[in-house]
Amino acid sequence: MKKKMKKAKQKFDQLILKIFPDIFCVNCVLVFVIYLMIILLVGIATTIGLGGGPLSLSNPDSFLSKIGSFISSFEALPLIIILLPILGGPLEAIIGKKSSILRDTLVVNTTFITFILIVLMYPQVMRGGLSFSLPGVLGFGLNFNVDILSYILAITSGILWLFVSIYAHDYMDHEKHQNRFFLWKSITFGGVLGTLMAGDLFTMFLFFEIMTFSSYVLVAHNQSNESMLAGNSYIFIGVVGGLSILLGMLMLYAYTGTLEFVPLASQLAAIGWPKYIMVGLFVIGFGIKAGMLPLHIWLPKAHPVAPTPASALLSGILIKIGAYGLLRLTISVFMPNPQEITGFLDPLWDVSRNLGVMIIWAGIITMAVGAFLALQQCEMKKLLAYSSISQIGYIIMGVGVTAYLGYMGAMGYAGTLYHIINHAFFKSLLFMVAGVVFYQTNELNMFKLGGLWKKLPLTALLCLIAIMGIIGMPLFNGFISKSLLHHGIVEAYEYGHASFKYAELIFRIVSIGTVAYYMKFFISVFLGELPEKFKNIGGEKGMMDLAMGGLALLIIAIGHVPHFLMDRFIIPSARALTYDPAFIKKYLVDIEFFTYSEISGMFWIFVFGILLYIAGTRFKLFQLTFYECLDIDKGLYKPMYNGVVSISRKFTEKFEDKIINNDVVIYSAILMVIMFFLLWFT
Amino acid sequence: MISNHLPVYILILLLISAVTTPAIKPSSKKFRPKLVGTLTIASLLALTMFIVVWTNGPFYYNFGNWDSVIGIEFFVDEYTSLFVLAVLLISLLIIIFSLEDILHDIPKEKTPHYYTLMLLMVFSMLGMIMTNDLFNLYVFMEILSLTSCGVISIKRNKANIMASFKYLMLGTIGSVSILLGIAMLYMVTGHLNMGATSQTISSVWQMYPRNILISLSFILTGLGLKAAIFPLHVWLPDAHSAAPTPSSAILSGIVIKIYAFSMIKILFRVIGIDIIKAISINEYLTYFAVISIVMGSVFAIGQKDIKRLLAYSSVSQIGYVFLGIGIATEMGLVAGMYHIIAHAMMKSTLFLSAGAVIYRTGIRKVNEFDGLGYELPLTLGAFSIAALGMIGIPGVNGFMSKWYLGLAAFEIGKPIFIIFILISSFLNAVYFLPIVISAFLKESNRREQIMIRDDIPFTMKAPLVVLGAACIVTGLFPNIIVNVIQRALPTFMTFVF
Repeated sequence: MKKKMKKAKQKFDQLILKIFPDIFCVNCVLVFVIYLMIILLVGIATTIGLGGGPLSLSNPDSFLSKIGSFISSFEALPLIIILLPILGGPLEAIIGKKSSILRDTLVVNTTFITFILIVLMYPQVMRGGLSFSLPGVLGFGLNFNVDILSYILAITSGILWLFVSIYAHDYMDHEKHQNRFFLWKSITFGGVLGTLMAGDLFTMFLFFEIMTFSSYVLVAHNQSNESMLAGNSYIFIGVVGGLSILLGMLMLYAYTGTLEFVPLASQLAAIGWPKYIMVGLFVIGFGIKAGMLPLHIWLPKAHPVAPTPASALLSGILIKIGAYGLLRLTISVFMPNPQEITGFLDPLWDVSRNLGVMIIWAGIITMAVGAFLALQQCEMKKLLAYSSISQIGYIIMGVGVTAYLGYMGAMGYAGTLYHIINHAFFKSLLFMVAGVVFYQTNELNMFKLGGLWKKLPLTALLCLIAIMGIIGMPLFNGFISKSLLHHGIVEAYEYGHASFKYAELIFRIVSIGTVAYYMKFFISVFLGELPEKFKNIGGEKGMMDLAMGGLALLIIAIGHVPHFLMDRFIIPSARALTYDPAFIKKYLVDIEFFTYSEISGMFWIFVFGILLYIAGTRFKLFQLTFYECLDIDKGLYKPMYNGVVSISRKFTEKFEDKIINNDVVIYSAILMVIMFFLLWFT
Repeated sequence: MISNHLPVYILILLLISAVTTPAIKPSSKKFRPKLVGTLTIASLLALTMFIVVWTNGPFYYNFGNWDSVIGIEFFVDEYTSLFVLAVLLISLLIIIFSLEDILHDIPKEKTPHYYTLMLLMVFSMLGMIMTNDLFNLYVFMEILSLTSCGVISIKRNKANIMASFKYLMLGTIGSVSILLGIAMLYMVTGHLNMGATSQTISSVWQMYPRNILISLSFILTGLGLKAAIFPLHVWLPDAHSAAPTPSSAILSGIVIKIYAFSMIKILFRVIGIDIIKAISINEYLTYFAVISIVMGSVFAIGQKDIKRLLAYSSVSQIGYVFLGIGIATEMGLVAGMYHIIAHAMMKSTLFLSAGAVIYRTGIRKVNEFDGLGYELPLTLGAFSIAALGMIGIPGVNGFMSKWYLGLAAFEIGKPIFIIFILISSFLNAVYFLPIVISAFLKESNRREQIMIRDDIPFTMKAPLVVLGAACIVTGLFPNIIVNVIQRALPTFMTFVF
């Protein structure tokens, strides 16, 4: 019966191909061209200064400007944007039963339409944020509030999902259960957008849980033993993270009476010591999602074992949601109102400052351990997973700097936001490259590959572009965000405690390490000798290259025109928060990225990185083995989980029958106890 | 005018239908429509009653127009009528499910007896919900006890008869305990009517405090035993796992809640919140509740049979209701009463889908659920929705109960309760998630033998879909229920006769 269905599907596919050859490729190319046009259009429009009001067409009554004003005042856009992928998912699954080509085309188109709708929110967002509520849902009502921070991240997710959808068509040829994959991918998209556009913690929590559960299906997709274990790890830790956030939310609501993202530092200051528990709960909850040490153990298991499109999304956006949650809390709940403070040293910044110290060091440890472990990996996707942990460490450090510096935290904020966007692009590109290599060679171990640039030249070039981005080469986007983060940590020890000098030192060492392990990645996979068995693998696949090329273009474009994002999005976003306007004016506006000190700093990092790589391969530093007990996963988490289950089982076995057999005795005992307590009272 | 008699109409309709059911042959065409029709008409009457109460306010109904001090009185407020409606609707869905399902547990000639017992059970439950008289409560409680034993032991199986016997014995101990408590209250207050008792209770409390305290301890222990609070829950696992599925669903989903609601009525309407806070009985309730919440889940993790696992899960969930009662503030009562209805929906869904699995495949062990998601996608889908609700995922109604309980716990300044609620959420995940995951994501070696998908009968599919959808709808729009509770709260916090 299944074979019959497969045959019917293939027949249908062939029928479609006869009618309209290569419908998918044509569709994708068309989508890509329109996408490029939109990006250019938005770029030009905002530079000339058309953003902010309705499109300034000459005749205010014309049809186009009527559409323009309708779009710029249509408030329910967030709801539609979220519903479109969530409802589109089942539709794709149903169509997928008939024909896989139609389904993939529908996937790309749905994602693209969602992306266009996100872009259409621009006028309203620029005017001061788009708010929309659905009262009565979930008792509190759903609140959506799209400000510039949410908006830029939503655009990033949209772009990423679009390219991953184009990529997934070719990649998923080799996988089973494709309909299920696309269904849950769409629902995850809806969940991600919901989390980003949420206006209060409650709405964010709803979509956060939806996102966790739907991405679980993507992680456990292969249903192999490894996938199931990784999936179990992912979902149980995810549930614990969700419960942690729930507890934090309850505390916040009980103490302050509101869950919205408004400045609450003055109320928090009145609480006393419970606020540190609340902060800790939020940090744990969002940190689990982000992959912060020591809560990161699910990440190296889940990201490699998922199919590559899912890994790209997991590493590209889903872990950023955790960082976004932390950032949101930092800039709203722990930030005082602009009218209430007198400057940098106002005591209302204290909570933010203490929080910041903790988060900066968490970020530093994360980035260091991530980079160190990445150096040790021999499997492509595992290396990229640990690299994600390391880069999230950068982002978390940036959040910490924002919190720590309080009034002067604008530089940290800018760096964090920029790095979130940049990392989304280059990390998903890297995962896509790894996916192409795996697709063609079916091999994940780097040391068994080599010389693939001859067979996959375009992929190798795109990989090089992504690596240039992530190590921070000037003229690529990573350079911008790393400089900003570096400025941030330097300010931390200039304006704050001197111990952050060590933090800055570790920052630079980790950058060196990043150069080293990416050199290892590139050289082992693409350069060198091509092994015998790979001499006849297939070449480039068009659509995958299109997707990867799109991301690479973005990496180069942002690298060359860094001020576009800064001036159009990041600085206005920072201005809306309680940051020192003079500071922003002096240090952020028209910041000089390509200064001599920055570029020379980068130069030395590259030199040391290359030296580290040579030393590592020479002295076999990259294959260290560890003691089992240092592995947190085996040493701490697994025993805890097994402990819970085995204690329950033992308890049940020992006591269940005894309790059931002594029923009447228990009744009389309880009766006596209650009477005793009650009568003792009188 | 007519609307005043609505409570009686509902009860008489059920009673007559129960008594006349054995007269119709089960193989005749009129059997099923009669059953379903009765409950549907009863539900419509309940809906009318709810609308009447919502627009006009609560009302008293005196049987035979006797004065409330002498005669039997019903007091119908907004929450009571909503609860009556919910009980009727859920029972309707469970009985629709049972039309096909019961045939593989008992022979066809016995089905009229089964439905008589079920209808009498619903009759007594509605009586217990609406009554405002203590002895009347006891009478209906006895009917409920006997008929619930009946629906368990109707399956002529050694395990069933043992379980039913144990339930009967313990149930009798519980009932007699409650009767003794009621008698002692009558002894000092001279009234059986809840309203009259509550008027005299404050003066009686000055004169005979010990009497009231002893009577309270008897009543609470008895009600705790019947509502299955740990460690008085001992009859529940055997009874609910051995019984035929529709019986388990109605017992676990609704019957134990009725006792919890009776506890609310007695504690808040008869004794009154001032005395409760003075003797801090609500604190003791919360301790038992917390123990129940955690231990129920601990025992559930150790179970291998799906129905026993669900039974222990009920013990844990009743703990939530008792926690809400024990917190004894407005928010606490809202949480407890919301959870009564929410859990009724979730637990019925879980039991019905487990029953559908057993009906179709005979699989009862939790570790044999591999790959069932492909055979029975609708069934396991409903199971997953209810399971997610039990874990506490927003969007399903279980989450809202935890949220309200959390807020209530913070209100009285005891955040430790929330820690326990969240631990229990995690434990729920430990035993529910593996079932859901293995059903949908593991391959089973049965798949080659499967020809058609989801071939459980329509009468079994429809209730699952409706209940699953109801869980999500009340989860997304909890205000449907919460508004009703908040309208009815004043009658609990300060009962004015």
